[in-house]
Amino acid sequence: MTVAAGSAIGEVVRDLEISRAWLVDPASGREGPGEVVVTDGVLEAVTWLDGAEADGIDDRGVVVAPGFVDLHVHFREPGNEDAETVASGLAAAAHGGFTTVCLMPNTTPALDDPAVLARVREATRASGSPVRALAWGAVTAGRAGETLAALGELADAGVAGFSDDGAGVPSAALVRNALAYAGALGLPIVEHAEDAAQTAGAEANDGFVATVLGLRGWPAAAEEAAVARDLAILAEVVRDVPGARLHLTHISTAGALDLVRRAKAAGLPVTCDVTPHHLALTDEWVAGARRWAWEATGDPWGDGTGAIVAAPYASSLRVNPPLRSVADAAACREALLDGTADAIATDHAPHTSVDKEVEFGLAANGISGIETALGIVLAAVDAGLLPLARALEALTAGPARVLGGAWGPGVAPGLIEGATADLVVFDRSELWTVEPDMLASRGKNTPLAGRELAGRVLFTIAGGRLAFETGED
Amino acid sequence: MTVIDREAHGERQALEVPVVDSPPHAQPVGWHHRHLLDVDTLSWADIELVMRTTDAMREVLARPIAKVPALRGRNVTILFYEASTRTRVSFEVAAKNLSADVVNIAAATSSVTKGESLVDTVRTVEALGAQMLVIRHAVSGAPYLAAEIFSGSVINGGDGWHAHPTQALLDLYTLRSRFPDGSLEGRKVVILGDVLHSRVARSNIWTLTAAGADLWLCGPATLLRGFEAWAGRGAAGGRRFQVTSSIDDALRDADVVMALRIQKERMASGLLPSLREYGARYGLTRARLAGARPDALVLHPGPMNEGVEIAADVAAGAQSLIEEQVRNGVAVRMALLYLLAGTVRP
Repeated sequence: MTVAAGSAIGEVVRDLEISRAWLVDPASGREGPGEVVVTDGVLEAVTWLDGAEADGIDDRGVVVAPGFVDLHVHFREPGNEDAETVASGLAAAAHGGFTTVCLMPNTTPALDDPAVLARVREATRASGSPVRALAWGAVTAGRAGETLAALGELADAGVAGFSDDGAGVPSAALVRNALAYAGALGLPIVEHAEDAAQTAGAEANDGFVATVLGLRGWPAAAEEAAVARDLAILAEVVRDVPGARLHLTHISTAGALDLVRRAKAAGLPVTCDVTPHHLALTDEWVAGARRWAWEATGDPWGDGTGAIVAAPYASSLRVNPPLRSVADAAACREALLDGTADAIATDHAPHTSVDKEVEFGLAANGISGIETALGIVLAAVDAGLLPLARALEALTAGPARVLGGAWGPGVAPGLIEGATADLVVFDRSELWTVEPDMLASRGKNTPLAGRELAGRVLFTIAGGRLAFETGED
Repeated sequence: MTVIDREAHGERQALEVPVVDSPPHAQPVGWHHRHLLDVDTLSWADIELVMRTTDAMREVLARPIAKVPALRGRNVTILFYEASTRTRVSFEVAAKNLSADVVNIAAATSSVTKGESLVDTVRTVEALGAQMLVIRHAVSGAPYLAAEIFSGSVINGGDGWHAHPTQALLDLYTLRSRFPDGSLEGRKVVILGDVLHSRVARSNIWTLTAAGADLWLCGPATLLRGFEAWAGRGAAGGRRFQVTSSIDDALRDADVVMALRIQKERMASGLLPSLREYGARYGLTRARLAGARPDALVLHPGPMNEGVEIAADVAAGAQSLIEEQVRNGVAVRMALLYLLAGTVRP
C-alpha cells in the first residue's frame, strides 16, 4: 500500500486506491478488511474483503476511516496570528487527520458578530485548504460575560452554536437565557465548565502533585459545580424550549462525567467531549513523570519506579482544565466506553514561545494538540483500553451528532459509496517522533516533544480534495 | 526519584571534610549536583556532606578574619524577584566570605519591571559574567526554568510555595547541633502555622522525614489543605508524618517547634477570621510551649510577627534557636556555594 494521491494539496483527488487495509465505518458500525477507491473526489468503491482475500489484514496496519471532526480548536485569527492562523491551523488539522474543525470564538476581537465570522471565512477560503472550518459564535458580547452576543444574527450567518470558551458563562441567569435563546434557534450552547471563584490563581490539579510542588490547587469541584449548575438550569429551560441543547466541552473529572451520565439517563439534551490529553496524561507529568495515565500510580516520587524522568514545571503542561488525577483520566476513558462522552475534541490551543516559555504559573493555558490527538488516542487503543472502532467513532460520527443540523454534509461520517470522499488513512504500525519544528501548527507548545507515537497519517482527503499526504510534512 | 534514603548509605562512615580554603574543583568530594533546586533530589549522603562542609565553614567563621579564597574570581549573581533581607544578605555574606564577586539584582530596580522575561534576564546576567545564580521568585518552579538555560549553577533561594532548600538545610544543621548524638531519629518536630503557603515547610518535610524525625504539621484546617494526602503517602523514602489542627496534640511532648510566618493577606482571602484569632488559637506562647518537652527547641525562619505566630518572650527565650539559625544560614550557604562551585570549572 504505497501509492501517491497524484494530486497537489487542495486539488481534487483524481484516482486513489487503498488496497488491503482495515476499514472502519461508523455509519454502518462495520469494520474489517477491505479496499477503497476514490475517483474524481468521490468515494467510488468500498469493497469489504473476506475469506482468503482478507488473509493477513488486521487492524494493526493501514486503517481507513472517515475524516476526523474536531469540535474544539483555537486558530487565533484574528488577533494573535503569531500563535496560529486559520491557514496554519487548517494545515495542522489535515496533518492530524481532521477534515472538519469547529473554531472557538475567543479571538481578538471575539467572534461575536457576523463581521468577524466573515473574516474567518475569508481566511479559510484564502488558505486553499479543503478542510472544512465551522465556527462557534460567542455567547456573550465580547465574551465579557455580561450581555448576550448577537445570537440570532450569528445563527443566520451560519455558526454551529455558541461558546464563551476560555471561560465559563459566569452568571447562571445568563446561562438560562442563552440556553433558551439559542435553543429556539436550534443551536447548542457549548460550555467551558469552570466556576472561576474556585480557580482564581489556580495552577495545577488540586491534589497530591500540586501540594508537593507548591502549585495553587485547581479543584475538581470548580468543574463539577459549573456542570451541576448548567444541568439544573437546562432541566428547567428544556420544559419551555424543547430545542435547548447543552454541550459540555473538555470535561476532565470523574465527578463531572458522573453528573453528565445521570443527566443523560434522565433524558436531558446534553452532550460532552473529552480531550486526548485528559484521557492519557495526568498531573504526574507536571512533576516530571512521562508515563501514560494507565501506567501511573499518582505518586511519582514515592512509588519506587523512578517515574520522574524530566524536569518538573514544564509549562507545556499548563492547560485549562488542568491535567487531572489517574482516576479522572480513567473516568474519561470509561465515559467514552459507555457513551457518556460523545466525542473526543482536541482543544487545540497553540501559543507563542513568548506566552509559553515562562514560569509555569505565568504561562498561557493550552496544548497544541491537533496533530498528536490520533497518536495519543491510539496509545490508549494499543493498551487495550479503548476499542479502535469506538475511538474512531468518537472522532467522527460522535462529534457530527453533537453538531446536529450544523454538521452540513447530507450524510453522516462514514465510508459510503458515491459520497464525496472525506477520509483519513493512517498506519498504526508506523511510529513517528513528535518534533515541534515539524508540526504544521505555529503553536510548538506540546508536552509530547521527543515522544514516539503510533499511527502516522498517510492521507487526509477532505471534501474530495487532498488535504494532507505524508512526505509533505 | 526520592533518593533521600538514609539506610542506603553508611551513616557513620568516616568521611572526609573538604579543605575549604582551596578552590573546590581541585578536590572532588563526591558532590554531583550542578544545581540546588530542591531538597527532594538529595541523597542522605549528599545531606551529610553538606552538614560536614558546614562544620568546616563554621570553623572559617570562627577565625579572626572569616574569609577564604576558595571562590576567588567567581561571579555569584543574586537575583531576587521578591523582597527579602535575611536570605539575600545571608547569600551575599556567604559568597563574600568565600571571596566571590557578588552581583545583587533586585527585580524592582531592574529591567524586569519593564517586562523582561525571566529567560531573557537569566541570559543577560550570564552574558554579564554570572557563574552561579541565586534566584528567589514568587512563582513555584521558576528556578527550574532558569536552570534550563543557565550554563552555571542555579541555587534556589526560595520559589513560591514550593521549596527553600538552603533554609531546610540550615534548620537541619541547627537542630542536629543541639542533639547530643547529632540525630533527629524519633524526635518529635512540629511545623506550626501557615503550612499551605510555606516553601519552608515543604522543604523541611523532605529533610526532616529523611532525618527520621517524628514530624507533625499543625495549623488551621484552611492552611493545611492537601497535606493529609501527602502525609498518608509519606515523603523521603515513604516516611509518613502527621497532620493536625489540634495544637495541643501537636505540641504534646514535642522536641522541636518551628513556627511559620503568618501573612495578613490570608485574612482577605477568607482563610482565617482574623490575626487576633490566629494568635489566640495557634500563637506559640510560653503557656503553649509548656505542653512540649521542658527543653524543647524553638525555630522560626523569619521574619517574625511577634505577638501573632510567636510571643516575643518565646522568640527571645532560652529555648529559641532563631539567632543561631541566622548564623548557621551563612555557614550552610557557604558550604553549598562551595560544593556547587566544584561541579563547574571556573
